[in-house]
Amino acid sequence: MSKYAYFPGCSLASSSMEYDTSFRLVAREFGIELQELDDWNCCGASPAPHHWVEVLGVLLAARNLHIAGAGEAPLVAPCAGCYNRLKHAQYKLERNQELRRQTSEVLGEEVRYQTEVLNIVKMLNREIKPGALAERARERLAGVRLAPYYGCLLVRPAEVIGYDDPRDPKKMEPLLRATGAEVPHFALKSECCGSYMGLARKEIVLRASHRIIEAAVAAGIDALVTACPLCQQNLDLRQGQINRAFGTSFRLPVLYFSQAIGLALGASPEELGIDSLAVEPDVDRWLKGAA
Amino acid sequence: MADAGKGHACGVRRRGRDDEIKLVGFLCNWCSYAGADMAGTSRLAQPAALRIVRVPCSGRVDPLLVMKAFQEGADGVLVSGCHPGDCHYNEGNYYARRRLELLKRMLPYYGVEPERFHYTWVSASEGGRWAEVVAEFTAAVEPLGKLHYAGGAPAAAAGEEDGDG
Amino acid sequence: MRIGVFVCQCGTNIAATVDTEAVAEAAMSMRDVYHAESIQYSCSDPGQRQVIAAAHQHRLDRVVIAACSPRMHETTFQRAVIQAGINPFMLEMVNIREQCSWIHEDREVATTKAIDLVAAGVARVRGQVPLKRGRVPVVGEALVVGGGIAGIQAALDIADAGMPVTLVEREPTIGGNMARLDKTFPTLDCSSCILTPRMVELKHHENIRLMVSSEVTAVRGYIGNFEVDIRKKATCVDEEKCTGCRICEEKCPSRAPDEFNAGVGESKAISIAFPQAVPLVAALRKEHCRQFIKGKCGVCKKVCPADAVDYEQEDELHTEKFGAIIVATGYRLFDWEGAYPDYGGGLYPDVITSLQYERMLSASGPTGGHIVRPSDGREPRDIVFLSCVGSRAESVGRPFCCNVGCMYIAKQAIQTREHLPDSRCYVFYMDVRACGKGYEEVYRRAQVEAGAVYLRGRVGKIYPRGDKLVVMGTDTLIGDQVEIETDLVVLAVGFAAAEGAGELARRLNIAYDGYQFFTESHPKLRPVETTTGGIFLAGACQGPKDIPASVAQASAAAAKAIRLLSREDLETSPMVAEVNHMRCIGCFKCAEVCPYNAIEKQKLHDGRTVAVIIESLCQGCGLCNVACPPQVISLRGYTDNQLISEVVEVLR
Repeated sequence: MSKYAYFPGCSLASSSMEYDTSFRLVAREFGIELQELDDWNCCGASPAPHHWVEVLGVLLAARNLHIAGAGEAPLVAPCAGCYNRLKHAQYKLERNQELRRQTSEVLGEEVRYQTEVLNIVKMLNREIKPGALAERARERLAGVRLAPYYGCLLVRPAEVIGYDDPRDPKKMEPLLRATGAEVPHFALKSECCGSYMGLARKEIVLRASHRIIEAAVAAGIDALVTACPLCQQNLDLRQGQINRAFGTSFRLPVLYFSQAIGLALGASPEELGIDSLAVEPDVDRWLKGAA
Repeated sequence: MADAGKGHACGVRRRGRDDEIKLVGFLCNWCSYAGADMAGTSRLAQPAALRIVRVPCSGRVDPLLVMKAFQEGADGVLVSGCHPGDCHYNEGNYYARRRLELLKRMLPYYGVEPERFHYTWVSASEGGRWAEVVAEFTAAVEPLGKLHYAGGAPAAAAGEEDGDG
Repeated sequence: MRIGVFVCQCGTNIAATVDTEAVAEAAMSMRDVYHAESIQYSCSDPGQRQVIAAAHQHRLDRVVIAACSPRMHETTFQRAVIQAGINPFMLEMVNIREQCSWIHEDREVATTKAIDLVAAGVARVRGQVPLKRGRVPVVGEALVVGGGIAGIQAALDIADAGMPVTLVEREPTIGGNMARLDKTFPTLDCSSCILTPRMVELKHHENIRLMVSSEVTAVRGYIGNFEVDIRKKATCVDEEKCTGCRICEEKCPSRAPDEFNAGVGESKAISIAFPQAVPLVAALRKEHCRQFIKGKCGVCKKVCPADAVDYEQEDELHTEKFGAIIVATGYRLFDWEGAYPDYGGGLYPDVITSLQYERMLSASGPTGGHIVRPSDGREPRDIVFLSCVGSRAESVGRPFCCNVGCMYIAKQAIQTREHLPDSRCYVFYMDVRACGKGYEEVYRRAQVEAGAVYLRGRVGKIYPRGDKLVVMGTDTLIGDQVEIETDLVVLAVGFAAAEGAGELARRLNIAYDGYQFFTESHPKLRPVETTTGGIFLAGACQGPKDIPASVAQASAAAAKAIRLLSREDLETSPMVAEVNHMRCIGCFKCAEVCPYNAIEKQKLHDGRTVAVIIESLCQGCGLCNVACPPQVISLRGYTDNQLISEVVEVLR
C-alpha cells in the first residue's frame, strides 16, 4: 500500500472542501494511504513570494517541506498553487546557500527540503494504471466530453516544475480517457484564468475566464476538468458574474480531476461534493447517456 | 655532407639563479601561438619563466613529450590549443584533451604535483587571455619551487640523440 | 652542417629590451653555428641581402632568424634563403619580439630568454632536412551539388569560364525553393520570369551535364582530385524519351502529396512538379504508385505516347572525378508543427506557412492565384501574419534570424492587397529587419500603400472560434494584450538546413553547426571556403540567406573554383607524416585518428600490410605521430627528436 504525506492547504480545507473529499475518496478506492501533514501551515500563496525579501517567499513553504522531510513518504499537494509554491521553495533552497542558511536559522535546525513533492496528476498517474481505472469505470462516462484544463501553476515554469509539457500539457488525458469519457482537443487548456486578480482587478479574471469558457462551449465540451482550486473558483463560482458582464448564459460545469475519476468509480455526486459546485452538471444525464 | 660539425656543443649552462623556475609551453600553431603573438603585439607584460615550443596542433603533444620536459628540468609544462570545436584540424584537440587529462591524473604517481601541468585553450583572438594564462600558471608553479624529478625517462620519448641532417 | 644565426634588432622593437649583440655572441658558442650577427632590420631589403651575403660567405646550409613571429615573416625569409641556395625548410625563425622584447621589461631577463629561444631554434634546425613541395595534377571539372538558384548560378559561372561542370540535383527538376516563389522582394518581379531562363540556359549549356534525381553518396580524394559516387535514382521514366506532355500525370489514378506546392493541393504518383520544370520530364514516385503498391495498374505506361515509362528501371551508380566541389544544397522550412502547440501544431487548416501562401499567390499554383482558406475555400478578409516562427526563438531552440521573413511578409502583404482589395493584413513582428538595398521601401509600401497593420509583439495562442481563428498576442508598444479574430493565419516559418545536410557534410568532411548549416572557413575573410580544400559553399546551405546574397555567394564560390580548376597542378606541403615501413606493425591506430583519411593500407612484397601516408591528403596535424604504438610515424618538421631537442635547449 502506497503512502503519501498529504498537504491539503487552505483551499482544500475551506472553499474547496469538495476537492479534498473527492481526492480522499479516490485515494481510498485505490488503497492509497494519505497521512495529513502534522501542523501544516499556509504555503505562502500568492502574496508571500511577491515580497521583496526573498526568504519570505520561501519560508512558509519550506516549513511544510521540513515537516514532511521528517518522514519517508513523498508529499502530495493537490492544490496547484500550493504545489507550485512548494516546488519553488525546493528549487530555490537547492540553488541558494544563503537562503538555506536563513531558512534554517528561522526553523532552528538545518532545513530538510528534499522530500519529493507531487501534484495530484503525477501522483494518480503513478498509482493508478489507466487499464485498472477503465476496468472499474466500465465506460461509465462514455459520450461525455471532458476537456482537461491545466492552467498555469500546475505545469509552469517548466524549469521549476519539470513535469509535463508546459506549452502542450497532456498528463491528465490517459486517466480521463480511462473513465470512458471523450477527451477532445482544447486549445486554451493552459491559458491563464486570471488567477488571484479576482480581488484587486476583477475585470481581468472575468475577461480571461470568459475566454476559456466561451472556447470550451464553442468546442462542444460538456465539462472542464481542473486540478487547481483557484482556476475552479474563477471558472465555476464566477461564471454568473461572467455571464452578467458579457451578456452570456453559459452553464459549463468545471470539475476537479478527482471528481471526474470518482464519478467513473461509481461514487455519487454527493459523495464527491459535486452538488456543491456553482454550476452543477447533470450527472444523471451523463450516466444515462452511457448506459 | 660529411661535415664534422663545429667542435663546441651548446652545452653552456644558461640558467640564472638556482631558485628560478622554468616552464615549457607547447602551443598549437593556429590558435594559441597566434594568441600569444597577439598578447605580444598588445604589449601585455607576462612573467618570463615560460619558453614556448610551437607545434602544429595540441594533438601533436605526446604525453611522453611532457614527461620528457619534466625529466629535462622543466618545473611546469603548459599545453594550449584551439578551443574544443574550433580545431584547425577538426578534432585534434579532442584527442589532446583525452590524453592530457589522463596524464594529469597520472602525474602524482610519477611524483609530480599535478599543479605543475596545465592544459588549456586559447584562441588567436584571446591575447588578453593568453597573458592571464601565463601569469596564472606561473603563479601556480612558483610556490611549488623547483621540481627535482627522480623518475626515469619514459623509454620511448628518450629517443636517439639528434641525428645529423 | 653550418648554421648561421641572425638576430634582428627590429629597430628598437627588440633591441630596446634584448641585447641582440649578446644573443649573437652566445649563439656563436652553440653547436654547428659558424656565423652569428645582429641586424638592424632583417626583413628589409638590405637586411635580407645581408643574410644572403653571409650565407654565401660562410657557406651556410641552415639559417636561424631571431626576429618576430614566424606567422609574420616566415615566407619572407624562406624566399631570402632560397636566393642563398638554401632549401626553404632549412630556415628556422625564433620569435624574440612577441614572445620576449614586447612582453618583458627587464633587459637581463629578456636577453637570457632570447638566448634560450635561439638555442632551441638552433637545435631544431639541426634536425631539419631539406624538403621539397610535392605537386599533384588538378582534374579540370567542377561538381555542383544542389540545383537551386545558388547551384544554378555557380554552375553557369564556371561553365561560362569554359570549364566543364556536373550539377547534381536530388529532385527531378532544378529550380529549388526559388521556383516555388511567386514574386521576389524588393522589386516584386516574378520569380519564374527571372529563374526559368537561367534553368533553361543551364540545361542547354555545352559545358554542363545535368543529373537530376541524383545524390552524392560518397566522396573520396582531396583538393584537385575528388572522386565522387553519384546515385541516379530510378524514376521509371526514360529521360531521353519523355516529351513532357503530362498525359501520364493526367491519367494516373494514384494520388500523392504535392511537395512542390507545399501540400496545397494534390499531385499524382507520376508527375512533373511544375510546368517550367527543367528537365521537363515526368518522374514516378513508387511509394505512392498503384503499380508498385498493388502490383497492377500500368496506366501511365499504356498512355505514354513516347513509350518512356519503364517500371523495371534501376538506380544507376556513377563514379566521377572532379577538381572542385561547390555545395549549394539550400534549405527547407523549419518543421514548426511539433514546436508550436500554441498555434495548433498543424491542427487548424487555416493556419498555413508563408510558403503555402506563396503557392496560393502564384498564378500557376494549385489555386490559380486565388487566396482562399484551405478549410472552406472561401476568400479571407482578415489575414494575420506572424513573423519569427522558428526564428529568433530560444524557446524552440532556434535562436537565429531567418534573414528573409520580414521582407517576404511585407511583400506578401502588398500582394494580398493586390489580390484582395478589401482584405486587411495584420503583422505581428519582433523588429522589422529591412537592411538590404531597397528593402526599407518595401516595408514602407506594405504599411502605407497596402495598409498592413504592424503590431510589435509575439503571439501566444491561436484557437478556433466558430469558423474563424482567434489570435492572441501582445502589442508591446501600447503595452496591452490584443486579440484578433481572423480568417487566415500565415506563419513566417524560419529556415532549417536541407534534409540530410549533416550526413552530406560528413561525406564531404566539411564542418557544420548545431543546426546543420555548413560552416565557412572564416566568417569574414574566407566566407565561401570550407575547412576542406577544394570544397566551397554557396547559398542557404551555409545559413539563411535571401536570393541576392545566395547569388553573390554562388558567384564567389564559382570564382574560387575557377581559380583552382585553371591550375594544372597544386603544390602540397611537405610537412606531412611519414611511416617507417620497416618497423610498422600494421595496427592502423594511425588511420583511426587521422581526420583526413590520409592513411591507407598497403601490402608489401614480404606479405606485411603497412600504413602509407597519402601526402596530398595529409595536413600535417601529427595526430598519427602520437597515436602510433611503436612510434614509427614521424611528422616532418616536427619530429619527436626535434621537439625533444628544443625542450632540452630551453631548459639547459
